[in-house]
Amino acid sequence: MTRKEFLRTAALGASVFLCAGAGYGFMDKKGHRRESIRGRIFKGDGPEKPWKWSIEGFFYTKHGDSVQCQVCPNRCFLEPGDRSICRSKVNIGGKLYSLAYGNPCAVHVDPIEKKPLNHFYPRSLIFSIAATGCNFRCLNCQNWEISQKKPEEVEHTELFPEQVVAETQKRNIASIAYTYSEPITYYEYMIDTAKLAREVNIKNVLVSNGYINQKPLLELCKYLDGANVNLKSFDNDIYRCLNGGTLQPVLNTFKTLHEQGVWFEMTTLVVPTYVEDPEMIRRMCGWILKELGPDHPLHFLRFFPRYKLTRLPATPIATLEKMRGIALKEGIHYVYLGNVPGHEGAQTYCHNCHKVVIKRNGYLIEAVNLKEGKCAFCGTPIPGRWGAFRD
Amino acid sequence: MNFRRLIIWSIIGTGISSVTTQLLTIREFLTQFCGNEITISLVVFCWLMMSGLGAFGAKVLKRGGGRTYALLILIIALWPLIQVIGIREMREIFFTHGISPGFYPILLYILIVISPYCLLTGFILPYSQYVLNRAGYGFESGDLYVTDSVGDISGGAVFSFILVYWLKPFPIIAVASSLLIVVGILLLVAHRQFFLLAVAGAACCVFLILCASPHVEKSTLVGQYGSIIQHIESPYGRIVITKEGPQHTFWESGLPLYSDANVIDVEEKVHYPLSQINHPERILLISGGLGQTLQEVFKHRPAHVDYVELDPAVTHAAEALGFIDKWPSLSIIHTDARRYIKETEHKYDAILIDLPDPHTFQLNRFFTDEFFAVVRRILKQGGVLCLHLDYSPNYLSGIRKKKLSTLYNTAQRRFEQVLILPGEQAYFLMSDRELNADIPALLKAKGIPTVYIEGFYYGNVTADRMDQLHDRLDPHESINTDFEPRLMNIVFEEWFNQHGTHPGWFFGVLAGLAILYFVFMKRAEYILFSTGFAAMGMEMLILFSFQIIYGYIYLEIGAVVTAFLLGLLPGSLVGQRWQSGLRRRITGSEMILLCLLVVFFAWASYMKMEPPPVCFLLFCFVFSFFAGLQFPVAAKIIGEEKSPAAGCLAADLCGAAAGTLVTGMVLIPLWGIRAAVIFLILVKISSMILIISNPRLGA
Repeated sequence: MTRKEFLRTAALGASVFLCAGAGYGFMDKKGHRRESIRGRIFKGDGPEKPWKWSIEGFFYTKHGDSVQCQVCPNRCFLEPGDRSICRSKVNIGGKLYSLAYGNPCAVHVDPIEKKPLNHFYPRSLIFSIAATGCNFRCLNCQNWEISQKKPEEVEHTELFPEQVVAETQKRNIASIAYTYSEPITYYEYMIDTAKLAREVNIKNVLVSNGYINQKPLLELCKYLDGANVNLKSFDNDIYRCLNGGTLQPVLNTFKTLHEQGVWFEMTTLVVPTYVEDPEMIRRMCGWILKELGPDHPLHFLRFFPRYKLTRLPATPIATLEKMRGIALKEGIHYVYLGNVPGHEGAQTYCHNCHKVVIKRNGYLIEAVNLKEGKCAFCGTPIPGRWGAFRD
Repeated sequence: MNFRRLIIWSIIGTGISSVTTQLLTIREFLTQFCGNEITISLVVFCWLMMSGLGAFGAKVLKRGGGRTYALLILIIALWPLIQVIGIREMREIFFTHGISPGFYPILLYILIVISPYCLLTGFILPYSQYVLNRAGYGFESGDLYVTDSVGDISGGAVFSFILVYWLKPFPIIAVASSLLIVVGILLLVAHRQFFLLAVAGAACCVFLILCASPHVEKSTLVGQYGSIIQHIESPYGRIVITKEGPQHTFWESGLPLYSDANVIDVEEKVHYPLSQINHPERILLISGGLGQTLQEVFKHRPAHVDYVELDPAVTHAAEALGFIDKWPSLSIIHTDARRYIKETEHKYDAILIDLPDPHTFQLNRFFTDEFFAVVRRILKQGGVLCLHLDYSPNYLSGIRKKKLSTLYNTAQRRFEQVLILPGEQAYFLMSDRELNADIPALLKAKGIPTVYIEGFYYGNVTADRMDQLHDRLDPHESINTDFEPRLMNIVFEEWFNQHGTHPGWFFGVLAGLAILYFVFMKRAEYILFSTGFAAMGMEMLILFSFQIIYGYIYLEIGAVVTAFLLGLLPGSLVGQRWQSGLRRRITGSEMILLCLLVVFFAWASYMKMEPPPVCFLLFCFVFSFFAGLQFPVAAKIIGEEKSPAAGCLAADLCGAAAGTLVTGMVLIPLWGIRAAVIFLILVKISSMILIISNPRLGA
């Protein structure tokens, strides 16, 4: 090898290293890849005509033959034949249709605590429905078989809004949850059901990622009684790479729910190596206190490997306890730990006297020390929606 | 220094290095992605394909000499270390941290990472022939094949029987590359390339230092695993133990096997079956005995518990860290559980199986009709067997319906009562006694306290959910057997579905490329292609059949591979000696290969007996003997002038790649062992027809 050849080879090698170095721009401080997983529109994937379980969208704009859905911040711009990111909306003949109306693929009766909602009519049962679709692409989704599917791809039962309400009444259940997948994607079905439910005094509960635009949310709030909304992290990059969304619209949702007086609780899944930075949790709590106040409960859930995120360990209990400690120290009054059976973090403690006001054993309520929504020990009002406790 | 001898040693060294690197690479990828037959097939396919492409490249290259050759073999010697580090480190660059990627990303990643090495090793063999011929030494394709086989056999045997037991991957690479390094250095000395010698010497020193340092090896795993406190390379896979705060996590082949305080999982798998039995005397636990599992089992006060775990490294590490409590009535047995069940004299009140979904033949053996029949033998009257499948509590998809129905129908053939409890997973309880789904009530009656079941069971496993599940089971779904692994096929389908991909495009493109290749290849090359296809297909069949019957495939995989390689060597030596009657000889070998395939089909279809392992090894040897025999004969039929080693090697390697992929990924999972053999018979018949229809071939 001549000197010239050697130098040429060395230069080639150096270029390779430089290219590799450039790749680090896509990675975080720990050297992990942080790539956006935002969903894409399905071009030409929609059906030719609406099916039985279709309804024209409630919030969309027309641009000639094209339409733009205005329900969520994805604002999918659909040409004729296209399908939205959430898979439930299609442009058929210049109109936006929802294909998820009256065709729930999951119908169950759950304890309200399962949502999780700890300050919303404890011990009550809730009629829970889901149609397919999601505007996110969470790598750890536990319901991916319905959230990441098109309405035509799943088996469903037929329950139009009036039938949902009738079924709920028949079972003598006081509330309906729009849950499991992402209810924002079957917005029309949800709001029509909620309107009918409100008429017969059945409560409506939204369990959601909170990725919704202001206008449809304000309309929905008229009929909502409670909500559990995920605050998946307090970092836009993590939202982009773990969930395929962005943080700000979710924060806006919390503010709107708060302003509209809808009772809501927040849930954060503590995903190891992603959502476990104490500083981020402090910032998150700071924002909550400033914008929403200390009274909305915050649930930290333990992560277990699911769906595509199977190469991470379960969240250490110590990490969850640390998160809870930070949130309490920052001033949030009610901080719970979920997916950790038997942990003291599942109990409701009065934020004033710190005594147990609701003693839980899983979904079972063993003791209630509340009198008309106030702590039975010190009389401090406990925020929430309290009703008659079921035996 | 004798130039010819050095080149021959380098060919042997390349064989040793490439086989060792291939086996190490498979193991690495198994820990990076889903550790099943798909990954194995993809790695072997990409390996053979890129090697074939490398060999093809040598066909067109007509320049260079000893110096270039020396540099290339030194690169081949050092590259495996870069490759293994690359596999580990680039994962975090290619994929989101913690993710299990889908089919196409895996394929692309494998291709990118192994291509440089495979292209080089594929290229170097025919190139060595070119270098020797250019230097005036006679060296035919058959000679090359024989010499390479010697290296392959040595590499396979040394890795499988010695290195894998004693060393971690980096030192193994150093040992496997040592011969090539020495030969490369000697070649540079022979060519008086002292500047290059100095550079190569320095590179080799750095290489050896990196290979010898355990800290370097451990540091390459940190990105994937985090804070590692222990790292064990057992013959069964990689065990890594990490610690985040006070929590330990055991990782087996890249997946978290156990983390502290998973109460839900532990209570479900232990108490659902044991609550059914009032006073269990003897309990058998198959896998999953770490952490609180045994504590929960002993709440039922059994007289004795046998805990069977295949890999001693798991339990030894767990015991050392206090994750298996010392109970006087606990026996830990290290063996294949199915084998244990077949041979034990004990009778059990309950058998608890805690294994993942059957995504390999090894696992599928615990979900089959044959297995349930064997279990019945050791289960006491009224005893309970419990195992589980992945399940989504809120919605039962079409694929999961098929999966649960298949296992349900299979279990119903052997047990009068089969109860599915839709917990976090779908738990199957099987027995001849009445089974009760009210687990909290049963536990209360036994006075056994729980945390999860007591508080959550009635909210999660509701009568509604159980009814919905049972109503949707399909009684017409087929059953799962050892040789027709229906459940494994469904799990594969589920995996593809989960990632929203389908391998159809991949196979379509491959079929197109194969047709193009067939159009341009010589007829005798097709015989080699078909033999490569049948040989690798048969190797996969033997491996899977062996796994079905004996289970302990990880220990014996080396024996099977070595038996195959051992057959190739004398086969090619015999073929090399023949100078005349080539047509008759190749026709004869084709007939014998066909007969062997028919014998295997007859065994898999009708005999169902379990021959001793040595019979499998003997069969491997005989099959590969006749496959190996064909290479030099076909090369002579084509003629060295028309197609030197490169063309024959490319045909052989491409056939082997296709055989691996089609047999391992399509035929066996989709249609079972018998269908796969029939396909191989058809492939060999096609090459027979080719010979018969071309009277001039080899005449």
